[in-house]
Amino acid sequence: MKNIVSGLAAGLFGLMLGAGALSGAANAEDALAKVKAAGELKVGTETQFAPFDFIDAGDHVGLNVDVFNEIGKELGVKIVWEDLPWESVLPGLDAGKFDIVAGPATITKARMEHYRFTVPIADATCAILKAAGDNSVQKPEDIAGKAIGAGKASSQMDQLKAYAATLKNVDIREYVDNSTAYADLAAGRIAGVANSLPNIAYVAAQRPDTFAVVEPPFGQKSYFGYVGRKDDDHKSLMDAIDQALVKMKHDGRLAAMEKKWFGLVFDTPDTVPAPNF
Amino acid sequence: MSWKYFELLALGAGVTAIISALAIVFGLAIAVPIAAASLARNRLLHRLGRSYISFFRGVPLLVQLMLLYYLLPGISINLPNTATAVVGLALCTAAYQAENLRGGFLNVAPGLVEAARMVGLGDRQILLHIRLPIAFRLVLPAIVNEAILILKSSSLVSVVGVSELTRMAQNLSTSTFKPLDMYTMAGLLYLLLNWSIAAGGLGLERALHWGRR
Repeated sequence: MKNIVSGLAAGLFGLMLGAGALSGAANAEDALAKVKAAGELKVGTETQFAPFDFIDAGDHVGLNVDVFNEIGKELGVKIVWEDLPWESVLPGLDAGKFDIVAGPATITKARMEHYRFTVPIADATCAILKAAGDNSVQKPEDIAGKAIGAGKASSQMDQLKAYAATLKNVDIREYVDNSTAYADLAAGRIAGVANSLPNIAYVAAQRPDTFAVVEPPFGQKSYFGYVGRKDDDHKSLMDAIDQALVKMKHDGRLAAMEKKWFGLVFDTPDTVPAPNF
Repeated sequence: MSWKYFELLALGAGVTAIISALAIVFGLAIAVPIAAASLARNRLLHRLGRSYISFFRGVPLLVQLMLLYYLLPGISINLPNTATAVVGLALCTAAYQAENLRGGFLNVAPGLVEAARMVGLGDRQILLHIRLPIAFRLVLPAIVNEAILILKSSSLVSVVGVSELTRMAQNLSTSTFKPLDMYTMAGLLYLLLNWSIAAGGLGLERALHWGRR
């Protein structure tokens, strides 16, 4: 029995090593050339992140869909979407399952060590969503002594923790996804949900009788960007996407989309700024 | 609940049904040689069969799916997501089905085999006419059981990017803010699918009612 186990373990380990060694060789091609040859850009995302990516009356819609349609036009390729749970999305990018991740993700120092972000497409500063008519929460510091939720493994959770450390007795609850947190807020189990301003502004606008945004945002200034690979093979592709995005910022297409999905236009820089955290 | 949502959930149920059906069929096909190997007197074959079963039964299906999804592109095999899902489910269910088959085979009464030998049947005839048919009848309920289990396990394949029934219900419940409606509907659709598997199994049992009056 012991032999079988060790043999199996060695075999599996060998397979992994082999996979690791080969992965470099297998992908050693220019990503932009590959995308253009295939005629399609594969985009990984989770369609549960309104208003960026979500299912409305059965159709995949959102700011990301509009933005990538324009990127597709600029590059002359078709956009192919893949929907996965968020925790599978970034590993899928590493495994080469798709060319870029929509998300978007907050641009953070830790993520920039592993990935290359596109230029910012929206403001991601963290704010609190509360129940409509809850007068006990008027400003961010009023969450002291209350239960507040945020998404597990999200940068909003990190920000909430850092902010809560400056207050008294904030009971932080971790949620697998934001929709469960919103549901608990609506049910009165928690007093607020911390998430980036565009997301909660959208949720509050959709259900004004249930939710309201606590102004001003409490978090440090941060931005949303799309996530791509950092290696040399992907440099040309990421450069081309950045170029398309900057072009869209300057000719007003991006502003029109932000207006459509968030009801307001964000002022975002043309280059990736150094993240605050 | 609007008709549009029901249509989408039914679409998800269709994906679940097709992926599970393929996994059940391929899984059974893989299980036959695995069961034969694990019953073999040849030590190497026996070990190979047992290793297969202990690996695919011992590692959680979710982990197997992740390994397939993230490892295969590394060795330049880039399967489409649905194929990854079917392969993952089939490889896993094959381990359980192989054990079911092996159990059925071991439970064929030795007296029957001896009697067949007495009346002059050869090894091949005994296998085809005595051991296999009896073993199959013995394992049918267990095979149906495993088929139902794998249909339910197919809710895990969203991690490899397949929008099956559970994923569809999740996506819809986040955008409609009606999780109760969506999951109730999804549960009913799963029940419906599994009823058809169970009914098929019972029908097959009745059709093969050797020795049952």
